[in-house]
Order: sequence, then structure tokens, then C-alpha cells
Amino acid sequence: METDRLEIARLYHRFGFGPRPGEFKAALASGLSATKTALLSVPAVDSGAAQVAEPNITNLGIRPDQKTSALIEFNIALRQQIKDLPLWWLDRMALSDHALTERMTWFWHGHWATAIGKLNHAYPMYLQNQTLRKYALGNFGEMTSALLNDGALQFWLDGGENTSKSPNENLARELMELFTLGVNRYTETDVRELSRALTGYQIERSSGKVTFNVKRYDPNIKTILGSSTTFNGTSAAAHLVAQKDNAKFISERFWFRFISSQLELPSDNSLEKSFESRDIRKLVTALTDSQILSNPSYSIVKAPVEWFVGVARYLKLTPSALKTPAQLLAYLDKLAQVPFNPPNVGGWPTDEAWLSSASAQSRIQFASWLIKQADLSALTAIAPNKRVAWLQDELGILAFSNRTRLALDGVKTSPAQLLQLAICSPEYVVSA
Amino acid sequence: MDTLSRRKFLQLSGAAAVGAAAPLLTMEDIAHAAQTRPLPLGTPILIMVTLYGGNDGLNTVVPYTDPLYFSMRPDISYAPEKVLKLDDQLGLNPAMTGIKTMWDQKKVAIVRGVGYPKPDRSHFTSMAIWQSGAPVARLSSGWLGRWVESQEVDPMLAISLGSVLPPLLAGDKRSGSALPLGGLVIPTGTFAKDCQKLARAASTDNKLMAAAATSMRTLFSVSNTVTPVLKMPAPVADDLPTVNGGNAGGDSNLAQQLDVVAKLIAAGSPTRVWSVSLGGFDTHANEANAQAELLGTVSTALSRFTSQMKNTSRGKDIVMMVYSEFGRRVKGNASQGTDHGTAGPVFLIGDRVKGGFYGDQPSLSKLVNGDLAVTTDFRDIYSAVLEDVLKTPSEKILTGWKSKGQYF
Repeated sequence: METDRLEIARLYHRFGFGPRPGEFKAALASGLSATKTALLSVPAVDSGAAQVAEPNITNLGIRPDQKTSALIEFNIALRQQIKDLPLWWLDRMALSDHALTERMTWFWHGHWATAIGKLNHAYPMYLQNQTLRKYALGNFGEMTSALLNDGALQFWLDGGENTSKSPNENLARELMELFTLGVNRYTETDVRELSRALTGYQIERSSGKVTFNVKRYDPNIKTILGSSTTFNGTSAAAHLVAQKDNAKFISERFWFRFISSQLELPSDNSLEKSFESRDIRKLVTALTDSQILSNPSYSIVKAPVEWFVGVARYLKLTPSALKTPAQLLAYLDKLAQVPFNPPNVGGWPTDEAWLSSASAQSRIQFASWLIKQADLSALTAIAPNKRVAWLQDELGILAFSNRTRLALDGVKTSPAQLLQLAICSPEYVVSA
Repeated sequence: MDTLSRRKFLQLSGAAAVGAAAPLLTMEDIAHAAQTRPLPLGTPILIMVTLYGGNDGLNTVVPYTDPLYFSMRPDISYAPEKVLKLDDQLGLNPAMTGIKTMWDQKKVAIVRGVGYPKPDRSHFTSMAIWQSGAPVARLSSGWLGRWVESQEVDPMLAISLGSVLPPLLAGDKRSGSALPLGGLVIPTGTFAKDCQKLARAASTDNKLMAAAATSMRTLFSVSNTVTPVLKMPAPVADDLPTVNGGNAGGDSNLAQQLDVVAKLIAAGSPTRVWSVSLGGFDTHANEANAQAELLGTVSTALSRFTSQMKNTSRGKDIVMMVYSEFGRRVKGNASQGTDHGTAGPVFLIGDRVKGGFYGDQPSLSKLVNGDLAVTTDFRDIYSAVLEDVLKTPSEKILTGWKSKGQYF
């Protein structure tokens, strides 16, 4: 029963963003297997996500010339879109009935880590987000092919600058190192050859439209990872995804983000095998296997966005409706994680990186700000000496330690402070 | 090629420091230490300036009389009349006027062709190698992290600006500290005491929960004797190009970081090593403007910092070291940019530095796979910095490296 509790807690916190009110207790009652099935099945209708209106994010066109009034209007619109985009996604994460879809989209955003700063247009980032969601639980080969035709990623890695005359290696290197194979699973020659195969793409910055210009394409034979043919982007990507190392690498990345960044993945290759067909859903299913989920050593720290969305889901807060949304983004920025703005192409850090005293301070302030805007009547209705145990179930926590229990007991008559300490406690910040 | 273990790569690609968890300091902690136990006057202070993304060395220190330079980089070369001439062969990027002034005062050593054996062109791997200072052993600790471990325990000894500690300052058992920029509001009153209860250790804690509890422990240890000037949040500098090369990490507010460092050094912080950084040097495309703007930022920030320090009793004690994870390919690409390369120049700046050139300029006619040959191993510089600036035996920290440059 205790291991069921651990596995169900992990399913909620790692493959979703934590339980909504009452959800965890209901899941315990319906059992591990039913919970797993429910989590992994995409519902036909997601009425939660449907509540979130599509954002007003459009192609703003080419930046107008300096010192015209059109430029001022352009900048105002751009700033608004750059603010609306993360709020829209946070709303989806907080409101979606199928949290796994958003959680996987979030994982892929950190994998194909593209930051909005260089592009400085919201629309292509919005399109990329839709692509990531479309393939979030789909086929990795199709995803890779779609991302090669993604304007935001191409622009971010200078894909449009890569021509037959003189290739630009940025995209080729990261495609192998960070997206499909992993570092040192290719040679420097492979990087140069792959960059030749990736020539010909042209990107329209504001629309994210990617086109193929045969004049910029290098049609000659390239030798990539031992195979020689007239590779182009599509066939080269398929070639990378077909490598055994691709299954190995993606398994490693899933392990690192969902199970443990501290401990190695088991050497039985079961994850790799589950990914033979490059079906992402099968890899997720393999990760939720009880052998893994019941092992108590695999704890992981919630990244700031995961922590925030967990709190928002539990408190039924709509991120964009918070007072004010700009303040919300400022809190996330203080915690060093704002959607659409990863620190570099390698994505966000993990675990201890989120456990600085500075983040602890920011988290306490952030929690207080959120709780002030929440309806605490359900907690208030519980008798004070039953509140700590009740919250443990509500928040989907394996078990509060004696330390935390003591701290919470001290504030049990104040629902707001009790909740604030509970969501800042080590047992909530870390998924056991 | 040596292979990093998957474990190490995964840690590195997360960009956070590995090894011992980093204490996080508040401005108040440092201000308090500065007042109660200031650094003895005359103690040398090292400032590490990391340029993330791979700075193009050939357009930093330009071989402006070499015809090969112009023929290999037709689109992105600097004309001889534009560069700031250092001698009859080499000149600085036109944007680096501040550093040129210090060069004329003989306060700048430029070490040419610096790198390490078997260069790696991954940002993450190459930066890890530079910061570990151990290209063969591939340690996960940083060379200055191992220096921290060789000293008496003091969380103020080595401080990195920003909330994430770079591997440079990470040790196996003890690490340097990180100082996030910007002010923090600290809970007060009885609720603060309740928060503090969460900082206690629990027997059921796993490693990460214990770390989460620890992070709350130092939260409320606030000094009441904070100098108001240190409490003021530094102004946000938003003056850097984000157009190019913004995808290989690093901070974007060097001047702001150095402002904080200047205030804390002037106040007497017992800190001997500071780490600051600037990102954006990954100039695969349209390099000229972006790199010049970045180098201008570095040059202006460092010379402004030097002027600020000149008015204090610490001015003569400061040594700055500027480096990047690799230089760039000699031949430009078609995007008016350059791809990842190998060797690059390292700058040492300060009153204690013997100004001038060191190491051989890599020849453009003797390239290795299209890249500059490494003529100076970075460990020659590290050993000199350890021995002559930090006054610490270097051989053990640099895993047996014996040779040392004479820059000070």
C-alpha cells in the first residue's frame, strides 16, 4: 500500500503537475493500475484545456524602420505577445484535464530548447509549441522532421545561414549532440557532413515559415555516421533517428528529467527497447513501470514552473488571471525559469540548481502571494488538528517528515500560513 | 577522443555545477563579513571573466598584416586601419579601446593560442574542460573549486555572481559560493521562526530533501549592520545585443555584476576569487557587429571597473583573467559568421601583470584540420595564477602539471 502511495504520488507529480483537490485520495482508492491507465489515456475531449482561449498571437511582419510611429506600435504589440505567450501556456498547464500532454510538451520544450530572445517574435515560438504538443506523445522521427521545418528552431540555430557555399555548423552540431544522439557519439567530420546535408533551408523570421531553396542546397554525396548518399535534411534526420544511439540518448534524457538526474538508469536496456519504434508513448509507459516507480532512491526536485503549476492546479488558480500576470512572470524569473526562455540550447538545469537559499526565499514570497489570491474554504472547514494529515493527501505527498509535521503543527490554526509552509516544505519541493 | 561518461555529460548539459552543493550568499552575509573580518590589504584578488559561447580570437587579437587572414575571411576581417595596433603584426578589435589604454600602460598580458590537447568543439564539453582545468583526467570539479578545498573553510573565499554556480568553483566536498543579483526580502517575525523549523534535518530526508531543508537554513541569518550602499539593487543593464549567438549560455549583464563586485571589494569582503560572465559569443552568423558589441561591453566594463578600483586601497591587488571555451574556425562561413574552433587568446589584466605578448601566435599557414594550433596550454596560465596570484602550490590542483608561465 505504501509503495502504491509512492508510485501514485510520482505519477501525479512527475507525469502531471500534481493533483487537483481530492484527486489524490480518489486515486489511492481506485488503485495504482487504474490511475496509471487514466493518466496515460488521452481523453477525447479536454474540457479543462478548452477553457483556455487561444492567445492573440499573430505574425507581426517585418520590424518597421527606426523612428516611425509604426515602430512604436510594432514594439507595443510585440511586448504584449511576448508576455501573453507564456501566460497562455501556463494556463493550459494549470487547467488541462490531461496533464501528461502538457507535461510532455514542457519536457520537449526543454529538450529542443529554443529561447525567444534571439528570434524576438512570439508567433514562431507559438507555432513551435503547437508542434511540440502535437508530437508530445507521438513518434520521435516525425517530431524531429517537424522540428527541422520549425522556423523558431531553425532561426535559433542559424539554419537559414547554412548554405552550400559555406555551411554553418550550429544546427548540425546541436541536432546530434543535444537533440538526437548525445555528445561524442559522432565525429567532427560527421558534424561537417551533416551541416552540408542541412543546407537549403530559408526562414522567414516573423512568420516562422521555412522554405527549401534548392540553390542554397548542397546536392553532393555526404558521409554521415558511416553512410554515404545525397542526404538532405529530411533523410539525414531520419538517418540520425534510426541510429541505435538515438534510442539510448532519448531514454537517458527521459530518465534524467522524469526519474533521476542523480542516479544512472538501469543497465538492462529496457527503456531503449521500449523505444525501438520511436513511439514516445511507449517510452513513457516503460518509465511508469513499477520496478522504477517503486524504487525509493529516485527522488527529483520540481523545477520552478512545475512547482508553480502544481500549486496553481491545487489552488484552482488561473495563471493569467492572477494580480498581476506581470508579477507572476517576475516571480518565475526570480526563480530562473520562464517558459520560452531557457538559459541556453542545453535547456534548464536540474535538482540542486533549484535549491539555493535565494530560491528558497523567492519561493516563500511567491507562495504567500499565490495563497492570498486563493479560496482556502476547504482547508478552513477541516478541524485544525486534522489539517496536516488532510493536506498530506490533498497535495499528494508521500509522507511529511517529523520535522515538517512539527513546523506545520505550529501554524495549523492559520490556514494560509499552514498551506504556505506545506508547499515550501522539502517534501513538496522534492518529489520523493 | 576521450569520452565523458554519460553521467557527467548529463550533469554538464544541465549547466549547473556538479560536486558539492554551493552555499548561497546574500549581500548581507558578505557585507557583514567585510565589516567584521576584512581581507588584509595587499592580498591579491582574482576576477575570472568567462565569455560563454566561444569568442572569436582572430577578430579579438587581429593579425592585421597577414594576407592569409584577409583571404580566409573575406567577409568578416578587420581592415588594418581599423584595428587598435599593439605591435607591427597584431591589433585589438576596434571596440576594445578601454583594454587598449590599459595595454599602453603595460597592464595587459595577452597569451596567444591558448587551448588544451585534443580540442573538443561542444560548448558544454569544452567549457567543462576549461573550467575543470583537467583536460586529461576530466575531473568534474573546477580548478578553482579544488583551490577552495585547499584553503581553510570560508564561504566568502570564492564567489560567483548569479544564482547558479559555474563548475569552475565546484569542489568535490566544498565549493565556492554563489551570490544572486538583486535584492531579496527576508521573512520576519514569528512566521520566520516557523519557516526556520523546516530547515531542520529529518531522519527520513533523502539527499535532495536534505538539500532543500539546508537551503532554508541560512535564510534568516541577517546581519543588522548592512551598509546601505550594498543593499541597493544594482541597476539592470539591458544593453546587449540578443540578435546573434544567444544560445550558448552565460549572463548578459557584465557591468552590473562588476558593479556589485566593486562595491564588495571596496568594502573589504574577505573574498580572493570572484567569477563573472558574459554570454552571446556563439557568433555563427553576422558576427562582426555582434562580436564587436560584446567585446566593447567587456572592454568598457573592465576598464570602468579598473577605474572604480583605482580610487580604493585595493586597486593594485586586482588581477583579471578573461577566457572563453574555444576560439572559432579560421575560415568564415557564408553567414558572415564562424563555426566552433580551437585556440584563442587569454587576457590577464592588472597592476601586478607584466604587460605584453606571451606564447606564439598560431600560424594561419599551419592549420590543424582548418583550425588554429594550440601553442600554450591553459594549465601554464592556471599554474601562474595559482602560484603568483593566489600564492598556492599548483601541481596537485592541476593534477601533476608542472610548467608555469611568467606573467606576473
